[in-house]
Amino acid sequence: MSKFAEPMARLIDELKKLPGIGGKTAQRLAFHILRASDEDADLLANSIREVKASLHLCSVCNNITDVDPCVYCSSATRNQRLVCVVEEPTNIAAIEKTRSFNGVYHVLHGALSPLHGVGPEHLRLTSLSQRVDRGEIDELIIATNPTVEGEATATYISRMLKSFPVKLTRIATGIPAGSDIEYADEVTMAKAIEGRREL
Amino acid sequence: MLKQSDAIVLRTYPLREADLLVTLFTREEGKIRGVARSAKRSKRRFGGALEPLTRVRAYYDQKQGQELVRLDSFDVIESPLMHDIDYERTVALSYVAEVLDGLLPDHDVNDAVFRLTLSVLPHLEAGSIWMPLTYFDLWMTRLMGLLPELGACIVCGDELNGSGRVFFHALADGLMCAEHKRLASSEMSLPSRQLAAEMFRSPVDAFAAEPWKRQRGADLRKFLAQCIERHIEGKLVTSIALAKLD
Ligand SMILES: [Zn+2]
Ligand SMILES: [Zn+2]
Repeated sequence: MSKFAEPMARLIDELKKLPGIGGKTAQRLAFHILRASDEDADLLANSIREVKASLHLCSVCNNITDVDPCVYCSSATRNQRLVCVVEEPTNIAAIEKTRSFNGVYHVLHGALSPLHGVGPEHLRLTSLSQRVDRGEIDELIIATNPTVEGEATATYISRMLKSFPVKLTRIATGIPAGSDIEYADEVTMAKAIEGRREL
Repeated sequence: MLKQSDAIVLRTYPLREADLLVTLFTREEGKIRGVARSAKRSKRRFGGALEPLTRVRAYYDQKQGQELVRLDSFDVIESPLMHDIDYERTVALSYVAEVLDGLLPDHDVNDAVFRLTLSVLPHLEAGSIWMPLTYFDLWMTRLMGLLPELGACIVCGDELNGSGRVFFHALADGLMCAEHKRLASSEMSLPSRQLAAEMFRSPVDAFAAEPWKRQRGADLRKFLAQCIERHIEGKLVTSIALAKLD
């Protein structure tokens, strides 16, 4: 027999499915929700429902959005011919924070990952080559992660698009700004030297 | 005091909010599992060192009675990221990692397999994966005791020499003559059997200069992958990806 009443046990089980939430944390959250006002609990339940009901993928770039096309794809002030390719929708926020990019995006929803069974057919690659094929894009900036999977995805895209007249660039990797070369790991340092630029 | 060992990173799994669980093939202690604290969030300590098949000097410690070691830091000796990466090479590297992880028992020192891996890795380059994969599969199955006798039919025991056709099957634990092959068996060509014999006589470097198309040794690799999958009692995720490469 569970030590909690059945509805409580169910809530704890559901919370445990969230990333980074173990049994202890799930119990704490569940009791917090139990003690909360009816109004707060309703707000939480409704916002979860609403997220699922109103959010979907942008038909152009696959970003998560409540309007279609998304705010970036429908913006008149953004350069619609400059496209930054990212692995996840959350990567967009990181790039937007810089306020130095005025193009639009293409979200792949993952990276090629043989150990996790993720192959080219699982990524949003067809819609990317269709965008290029329609002549909508001058330059693609490939901003996948500087990991083996991210690099494999970047080279895969560059081969897939090699017959198209589109400029392909890859974001630079290297020593973090404001850090010390002495503490850079070997791989980062090697990449930084490889990606050096002329002064 | 921290322990240290020459090691090869096999794979990582997310653990809690910011940590990673790392499977590591060490030279001193065989395959071990450890926790890299905060590795998901902060890259300072591990940087690019946790990519599959990175060769590292690993520093770690183990509390009495605890299954997981605490990984302190890694010095990278050789990283797959230091050479060109393409999808093919990534699939091949992942395959080697999955096979090692699947076949090596925990805490079992195996210097021969460690040396095999080190000798094969430099040959796994973008655009040339099939030779090193064939060599790895062949020696790996033999070193782990999974390779059946290749010179005789497992049913009748007759010698399989150059003249007759030779077959294999996912559920059969060895090669079969034409008379005793099972329904829906695959054929192993004579050149592939000769190749296996050559690979047992020579280091991997001896094959590096030869041009190597995907078809060469494909039947041998299929046979070896079946030996591995029979042992782990399941399909290798990465062998599906390998089969889809063109
Ligand atoms: Zn969009
Ligand atoms: Zn026979």
